[in-house]
Amino acid sequence: MNQPVLHLDRVDKFYGEIDKGVHAVKNINMEVMPGEIIALLGSSGCGKTSTLRMVAGFESASRGRILINGREVQTLSPVKRNVAMAFEGYSLYPTVSVRDNIAFALKSSTVDATETGRLVEEMAEMLEISAILERFPSSISGGEQQRVSLARALIRQADLYLLDEPMGQLEPQLRTLLRSRLKYYIKSRNLTAILVTHDQTEANALADRIAVMEDGELQQYASPDQIKERPANLFTGTFVGEPPMNVFPARATVVDGSVQFELAGGLALRYPEAEFQESVRQQIIELKEVVLGVRPYAVKRREDGAPAQVMVNQWLGDQTHIAASFADETIVLVEHDRVRLSDGDTIAIHLEPDDLHVFDPVSGRALSHGRSMA
Amino acid sequence: MSLELTEVVKSFKDDLVLDGVTLTVDKGQTLVLFGPSGAGKTVLLRLVAGVIEPDAGRILIDGKDMRGVEPEYRGVGMAFQNFALFPHMSAMENIASPLTARQLGASAIRSGVDALARLLKIDHVLTHYPRELSNGQKQRTALARALAGQPELLLLDDPLRNVDAKLRFEMRLELPRLLKSQNATVVYVTQDYKEAMALGDRIAVMNHQGIQQYGTPEDIYMRPAHSDIARLFGDPVINLLDVVPERSANDVMIRLSGQPLTIGEHYAHTVSMPCVLGVRPEAVQFADEGTPGSFPVKVEAETPLNEKTVTLMLTAGNREIMMSRPAGTPGPATGTAHITVDLHNAVLFDHGTGTLIESSNSKTGLHGEVA
Amino acid sequence: MSPVERVLRGLAITLVILFFMFPILWILLMSFQTNETILRVPPSMVFEPTLINYRSLITGKLQTAAGSLEIQFMRNLWNSLLLSTSSVAVGLLLGVPAAYAFARLKFRGSEDIAFTLLSFRFAPPLLVLLPLTIYFQQIGLANTYIGLIWVYQLIVLPLILWIVRGYFEDIPADVEYAYRIAGHSWFATFRKIALPLAKPGIAAAGLLAFIFAWNNFIFALVLASADKQPVTVGALAFVTASGIQYGQIAAGIVLSIAPTFALAIYAQRYLVEGLSLGAVKG
Repeated sequence: MNQPVLHLDRVDKFYGEIDKGVHAVKNINMEVMPGEIIALLGSSGCGKTSTLRMVAGFESASRGRILINGREVQTLSPVKRNVAMAFEGYSLYPTVSVRDNIAFALKSSTVDATETGRLVEEMAEMLEISAILERFPSSISGGEQQRVSLARALIRQADLYLLDEPMGQLEPQLRTLLRSRLKYYIKSRNLTAILVTHDQTEANALADRIAVMEDGELQQYASPDQIKERPANLFTGTFVGEPPMNVFPARATVVDGSVQFELAGGLALRYPEAEFQESVRQQIIELKEVVLGVRPYAVKRREDGAPAQVMVNQWLGDQTHIAASFADETIVLVEHDRVRLSDGDTIAIHLEPDDLHVFDPVSGRALSHGRSMA
Repeated sequence: MSLELTEVVKSFKDDLVLDGVTLTVDKGQTLVLFGPSGAGKTVLLRLVAGVIEPDAGRILIDGKDMRGVEPEYRGVGMAFQNFALFPHMSAMENIASPLTARQLGASAIRSGVDALARLLKIDHVLTHYPRELSNGQKQRTALARALAGQPELLLLDDPLRNVDAKLRFEMRLELPRLLKSQNATVVYVTQDYKEAMALGDRIAVMNHQGIQQYGTPEDIYMRPAHSDIARLFGDPVINLLDVVPERSANDVMIRLSGQPLTIGEHYAHTVSMPCVLGVRPEAVQFADEGTPGSFPVKVEAETPLNEKTVTLMLTAGNREIMMSRPAGTPGPATGTAHITVDLHNAVLFDHGTGTLIESSNSKTGLHGEVA
Repeated sequence: MSPVERVLRGLAITLVILFFMFPILWILLMSFQTNETILRVPPSMVFEPTLINYRSLITGKLQTAAGSLEIQFMRNLWNSLLLSTSSVAVGLLLGVPAAYAFARLKFRGSEDIAFTLLSFRFAPPLLVLLPLTIYFQQIGLANTYIGLIWVYQLIVLPLILWIVRGYFEDIPADVEYAYRIAGHSWFATFRKIALPLAKPGIAAAGLLAFIFAWNNFIFALVLASADKQPVTVGALAFVTASGIQYGQIAAGIVLSIAPTFALAIYAQRYLVEGLSLGAVKG
């Protein structure tokens, strides 16, 4: 087995005194393998930036070990760790041109001037900043500054690339295209990168694995598909996914050979017992009070379904978002085509057992996804 | 209440922000002002609110000229992008401010605030000060304050900009009902095309100190007046491909990567004109080799995007082309593939000016049959 | 922070405080000593405290080696209090609305006027004073409290204007716009939004202006006769023909520091509140 490029071993971060100050990062264990793109995803204050800064060496870990290519780095200064970082706040050199800002990253390396020039041009073309190479940082937009900062980090040869919100300020119409190019660039060179983002679209688009963080804790560390299909808990389930997952409190029972989920407003969803694994069924029945989750894309309209009243119908060009009142709550469904429904229309909603996520309402832990155990 | 702007001009020092804006919003309608930052959307709202005065032009609210009318007499409600809550007042006092201005009795104020707070689900934080509120609660408090005076004209300046993605989505679904229940005419500023499409009865696309296009969401998405506007609506961004229409035996056609596709006789006026073809990524599809009209591409990267799969590809001429398809539909993630392009909803722009080229028969778009 | 670090930091802070506070502490000690104990060699911290200095200040009888002298220290103290308080009150009354105007209304020449007001501080006071004295004598303002308070505005007004203006400018315009749009007049907006939010700035400016006014020497020296003079001028009386009365000077200093000191401690509350209110932005 390959050696991980980065290994975080029971890492804690306190601001202030250990065990007394603010506990920003709580006992994180994580490995990043060569050639992987990892996203640290979470809302502001979840500890993702602290984690990245500890890897880069701008913060020290309060406890635990950080290993880069098997070497402990806690005591090494940032320059000695051989990592390249793109900062959220751009931090460009204001007194030199964009070109020199990017080329500066190669100054201490063995790359000669003509090769440097070629690399800068190539990088500029990829990030659509060729036209502003001779300008100064103060005269370019925030989105452009961010791309320059990204170029400066990527042009270096490093063991690990750390990208802090690399596209937060970017013009929306460029985002998807640049994401694709960035992914191609990293993958085709077999680089290893960690990006910090609060934008799940970005994490999903770029990352091989996503580390979902909340309140300093690692909630789940898995591939985007895994997180989408098998969220470890209610937090991950509702945080990742756009639009967010629909959730309904339900009471689970077995009636005449069917598993029945009783929702608010007297609505009940029934599925033949055989649809669920024996162990899943048992656990659900035992808990009785559960939370049902279903993704907006998985909500089907089918004639024999349960009734729901359309509240909003929004066409966004390439898809339609519909919100309907269902079991005293709002259910959201998304269709890839244009759907024309009006307020108050009744639709029939069907939830496939395959698409149901069942959570423990108290701990938030996932019990089952579809027919199988979590 | 209707709103009418005629030839409104505004500049700050030497910086011309609005250059003759003319605009009408009918009673009860929601108009979305959409555009990049710096397009003058916020300035326009402030002119309507009366906190700044135009250099020239007229602003009519309900047919009355607003020149010289102080903001407190214009009967508008406004929510700000950064919320602009009064930091030294509780959420309750913030929301009540339009009611105290009318010197209503304490019980009338109380009941007005309570009703709105319940509607916006902030009744449990009414005694809190703004610094004790979460971003989402601040945003709802600001919205409640704007609604409290039951204004007939409501100005919303990118109210969802500073809240997280989940809340933004929920509010986007909630807002239309909320606005309808208030029976107000609404001017809504946003930079998010999805918000614009979802909330606007009409959209005014602002750019270059003026309104570049005005129409229904459908007009703007399907028939963007300029290639810049086409690029602003849709995610992933529209493909813009250089083409030069030419005359074939009995039709007008273009070539995509060498493959001829007819565009119809009603585009005869574009023959030999350098044009840009706008094709949505949804209109690009994988095809078997040998399918008529198909051409080979190299697949560079595949990225998921909200239940869609976005594929970046290179044509034989090294041009980038993007495809978007529902997640789960099969297709190669790397290597060489063949694609076809469906031209039915495609649009043609002038290569030099970027403006939309209409067909000579307004009912028909591009044909897109294989020649 | 480790325990060692904490001890070291505490030590360092103590040293700094000692360094800065020592003169004041020494003056406090001096004020309870007679001139003889103060001047003994070597100096000592040990002495028998006496209230004689304070007594002579309060009764107005300055005890010197050559006998007893009449002084008006309490009168001077009262003058200082009256002049400073009234000047700051007038300064705030005029300066705060003016600062608001300069911050919010960008009228033609507003920057120039604001700068001119500040430039009063550039002129050497003596240069201003000579012509002023003549004018004041002609219009009957010389040696009056009103005249002095008027002249004190030269010190107080620019200070208040420029500090408070900065605070008003820091209030986001949107917050005031929101109040206007909610249906309130501009004056209500000034009273209910701008004033409360700039309160820490107004408190800071008022405090600084008070200290500057209190410490002023030259205006009162030239424009006021003995019965209108503040402590700064009155303290000259401690330099007598038979030597300098250190003990009584020290007592005088302690008494004249007291009002500003008390005010600073009182105003601190508002200054801190201003910082924690920080939610003005965003």
